[in-house]
Amino acid sequence: MLLVPCPNCGPRNATDMNYRGEAHSRPDPDAATKEEWRTYLYLRDNPSGWLRENWYCSSGCRRHFQLERHTLTGELRNPPLPGRKTAGA
Amino acid sequence: MLVSWNTMPTSIPKENGSVADIQFESPVIIVDPAAACGSVTLTDESSMTKASVRAADDTAAASALGLAFGSAEHRGDVFVARIRPDEWMVFGAADMVVAMIAELDLGGYASTVDITHSRLMFRVTGGEAAKAMEKVCSLDFSDHMAPNGSCAGASVAKVGCDVIRDDIVGADGATIRSYRILCDRSFGQYLFDALVDAKAEFG
Amino acid sequence: MIMSNRLPESSSEVVDRSKPIRFDWNGKKMKGFEGDTIASAILANGDHILSRSLKYHRPRGVLTHDFWDPNLMVQVGDEPNVRAGHRRLEAGMKISAQNVWPSLKFDAKAANGIAGRFLTAGFYYKTFMKPARLWPVYEKVLARFAPGGEVDLNTPHGYHDKRYAHPDVVVAGAGPAGLAAAIAAAQCGASVLLVEHEYEVGGHLLWGTDDDRAAAATLLAQAAAAGVEILTNSTVTGRYEDNWLGIAQRSHPIAVERLIKARAKVLVVAAGLIERPYVFQGNDLPGVMTSGAVSRLINMYGVKPGKCAVVLAANESGDQAVEDLKRADVEVARVVDARGSTTVNCAKGSRTRIKSVEVSDGSSIDCDLLVTAVGWTAPTSLLNMSGDRPVYDAAAARFFPNSPPDNVLATGGITGDGSRDELIAHGRATGELAAGRANAARHRIQAATASAAAVAGDEPEYPSDNRAPLTRADHPELHRSSTHGLVDYSEDISSKDLFGAAAEGFDSVELLKRFTTATMGPSQGKLETVNTVAILAEARAETIEQVGTTVWRPPYAPISLGALGGRVFEPVRVSSIHPWHEANGYTPILAGQWVRPEHYGDPHAEVRNTRTNVGITDVTPLGKLDLQGPDVPKLLSQLYTNKWMKLPVGGVRYGIMCAEDGVVLDDGVTARLGEDHYLMTTTSSGAGGVWNWVENWLQTEHPEWQVHVTPLTTGLTSINIAGPNSRKLLSRLVDCIDLGPGAFEYMQVRTGTIAEVDNCIVWRIGFTGELSYEIHVPSGHGLHVWNALLEQGEDLGVAPFGLEAQRIMRLEKGHFIVGQDTDGLSKAPTTGMISLLKLDKDDWAGKTEVAWALEDDYPVIVAVQPTDPKIVPEEACQILRDGTREIVGRITSSRHSPTLERSVCLAQVSREFAVAGTTLTVLLANGERINARVMEHHAHFDPEGERLRG
Repeated sequence: MLLVPCPNCGPRNATDMNYRGEAHSRPDPDAATKEEWRTYLYLRDNPSGWLRENWYCSSGCRRHFQLERHTLTGELRNPPLPGRKTAGA
Repeated sequence: MLVSWNTMPTSIPKENGSVADIQFESPVIIVDPAAACGSVTLTDESSMTKASVRAADDTAAASALGLAFGSAEHRGDVFVARIRPDEWMVFGAADMVVAMIAELDLGGYASTVDITHSRLMFRVTGGEAAKAMEKVCSLDFSDHMAPNGSCAGASVAKVGCDVIRDDIVGADGATIRSYRILCDRSFGQYLFDALVDAKAEFG
Repeated sequence: MIMSNRLPESSSEVVDRSKPIRFDWNGKKMKGFEGDTIASAILANGDHILSRSLKYHRPRGVLTHDFWDPNLMVQVGDEPNVRAGHRRLEAGMKISAQNVWPSLKFDAKAANGIAGRFLTAGFYYKTFMKPARLWPVYEKVLARFAPGGEVDLNTPHGYHDKRYAHPDVVVAGAGPAGLAAAIAAAQCGASVLLVEHEYEVGGHLLWGTDDDRAAAATLLAQAAAAGVEILTNSTVTGRYEDNWLGIAQRSHPIAVERLIKARAKVLVVAAGLIERPYVFQGNDLPGVMTSGAVSRLINMYGVKPGKCAVVLAANESGDQAVEDLKRADVEVARVVDARGSTTVNCAKGSRTRIKSVEVSDGSSIDCDLLVTAVGWTAPTSLLNMSGDRPVYDAAAARFFPNSPPDNVLATGGITGDGSRDELIAHGRATGELAAGRANAARHRIQAATASAAAVAGDEPEYPSDNRAPLTRADHPELHRSSTHGLVDYSEDISSKDLFGAAAEGFDSVELLKRFTTATMGPSQGKLETVNTVAILAEARAETIEQVGTTVWRPPYAPISLGALGGRVFEPVRVSSIHPWHEANGYTPILAGQWVRPEHYGDPHAEVRNTRTNVGITDVTPLGKLDLQGPDVPKLLSQLYTNKWMKLPVGGVRYGIMCAEDGVVLDDGVTARLGEDHYLMTTTSSGAGGVWNWVENWLQTEHPEWQVHVTPLTTGLTSINIAGPNSRKLLSRLVDCIDLGPGAFEYMQVRTGTIAEVDNCIVWRIGFTGELSYEIHVPSGHGLHVWNALLEQGEDLGVAPFGLEAQRIMRLEKGHFIVGQDTDGLSKAPTTGMISLLKLDKDDWAGKTEVAWALEDDYPVIVAVQPTDPKIVPEEACQILRDGTREIVGRITSSRHSPTLERSVCLAQVSREFAVAGTTLTVLLANGERINARVMEHHAHFDPEGERLRG
């Protein structure tokens, strides 16, 4: 079972998270055409390779975050995090 | 900032001196006698006054409450835990909690909610408390991953909880491992029974 | 006369002769000893046939005498499929053979043997097909031949549970290398879990020399001293991402079987080697067994496996078997050294036992025991599961680990060959490496974990693998002799079947496996895969490397459903008033995780009482979200379809929430309690979902808004007080709230004291259509207030009403329920609440799609009454265009109304039919078509809402 690196809590079981799918941006609702809006709703790039995606740490810190997952190897990476605890800090 | 209803726990005496003679009803209706027996004991502390404070890092309230995310400590008669990056829980004697909350500068922006009634609180205590917790929770309870004064959110017996390690000092002065478990009140009887079952193995 | 095959007592045995055990085998009373396996005890008593094969029902005896022996599946009491070569004997066991009729000795189904030619692999794809009308007969016939034991449906449930673990190192396999690895890792400071399949640790040392056994005992003592946690009779049954391991622990003091879910930093695979059978004609005759079986039976269990043996030896295990046989007083008639070019061609015998062996040099030898030692299979499953693709080495005649990930290490016989000391040295080096890597991982995880203790210093260097590898001894490649024999004993698949299937075109290893079912039986390929691959290679005139293997998947060994299920706890939620419901005759209904009162005996009476006097109902599961902050109005405007910027303090407004596709997500009323303080309600089933929805918007789209959200669903016990006497009743209990109609109007909120309980909230809203108040009480006092209401309202006719009565009353008033009258495709306009869809407002969730939907056609919710007032259509009945089968809508809610004394419904229909007065055709579940009328208002009762606003 995947160990997901929550930027706040640290590594947690994937079952402690909600997976929220491929990261995508919300178009301007006033300007979007039907096609643009429905692409936002239903279509995803689904690349073979690195994918930026949304996760929600529902059992832990209750924060949404993003990380990158390689869809072939399963490798996970997310940007380095601020405020890691070290002795004396 | 006006003190609104939700920062006043109902367990404090009223201003006119009279005290409502109403018992706090715990969500644990049937208390299995096995809970208090054995090498690992389970107690119900649900009636304790608890307040939640939400504040972003850059606020006065956050500075006043301090603590890194994931840690907790005793401050006199009050216990403070930073259970989310932007949320603290304060619990203890009613008047002490109210006093601490009242002193907070809620500017910039911070808010408080009385969660005395919405969250139950149990204590699992004993040398094998971690082993009992391991039956129902996937957190790593070893000393380096969950030292005394640490807290984390996790699923316990399939219910979302906050688990705080708060060791107690026994009668003989020895430190005894102990965990406080908080979760939504409605699961009270279910969770209590599940914990009694989990600890049964340890005598 | 029962012959005893029990050997004189020896120092090597694990049986305890001072502890005899009585048991039953097929009705015969027998005696064994503590420490015996079921099979060794039966063999000691003189029986050597323990089962019949799957297809041909051929008599079978010991083949490998270990967990994987396919011939030793027996029924023990009510437990089927017990592996008699592994399971230890217990007092009072009633053991019987499986899959035999009428008895093990005379099995009429063995007639299959004669029809063998017609029962080749895959025969069921080609036979029993036509005529199709006879399928029920075929099924009955085939069922009679289905393998496996008997399941007693009344078997009592055993105690199964689960446990989580976070060991630094898990070692799978406690042979010499595994033990050494566990000890070394523990001595380096790692927390170590050692898992062993058998009942004792030691691996092959247990049936070796006296020195071997002493070494095993020493290693065990060292492991205990080092603090290794040892689980015997347990299996690491699966390795998942990031070393998530499933460990099936049997022989646990309180649980029949326990599933341990472990997150190990490093997994050490020390699974050893499994001895492979040889393929030749007659290879499944009772009396043909592997060298390991012989050594185990003689050395560990004190059982004499035969009287006169021929040994086919290609390695040291075969040589040792020869020694052991001689010591056991078994005549060794011939040792065929397979390291040369001689081998065994075939075995001949009667139905019950082997009688002679034909060697490839032309000679024929009489015997009652043929021992084969033709090679090893590396049990690489756990390595495969970690992503490794083992590689075949023809010189050594087996597969070897290739390149598992950094956190999985292999040691011992699975990686190469060596003396006992060499294996132990390799194990130690592996244990140290494992501890070093675990330490580095632990540092990294600890540094990244918020609640962990602070780490000192930098992350230690990740140790590289500098272990000296074990050598690979040469070994002849022996898979099949010059004749055909069984490859898969569990499934009765012969090498001839495999050649035949390959010739038919099933010539890839994956297809061959699935078509013939080779490797799919109880031994799951442990004994068959390599032979199958080798024979396919033969058939294709290729090498084993070119053919490849199938994929190993978890579980490595069978695991019971009980262990997978664990404790049968399902979370249940109740309100603080629940004890009262239980004590007062409620009928419970499960709504999500909530147990709620459906009614208290007569829901219609509850409706009538509420509309006449006053009723109270427990609506605690109603979702409640505390919202605080200066930007709450912006949040509400974003999530609801209507406007929220100007709600006064003390005001309440109803809102509908849509998802971004315009579909109705939830609805509820929201109140303004203070300057920056609101309380939002949601549907009961939507409570969790709406909270997630709100947090999603705040965190990802508008982190700049100052809003804090806290769920108070269960912190506030909610009671709805409804009916003409509701105001009178509540006024007897409240303090500081003026309930006068002018002072406290419909759709307003107040806070105050109820029954001496402070900090209560009172809403004047009305789902039921009556004058009603919804009170929210801090839950620690919920039951107190409920009791106070009942006490104070006795003379007012107060009585509780349940969920069913509430649903009837809301239906009488035409209030739709999200998820009942709307569905996953219902966009907001379907509700009919067009005035709430504020298109002139800035961006709100779902606005784009709702605007487009309004320009289009969409179904509409309408109130419907069947012409015949006694007919209550079932919910989901279809509405048709009259005279056709075209569906134009459906009934979404339907009840008999005790108030109107007729049936009342809500329905979704196409706009064309949504005109008041239209006659609809409703298709009932029984096929009857009835008429129904579309009503003028949603409300069937009191459409002007006079009661509500009183």
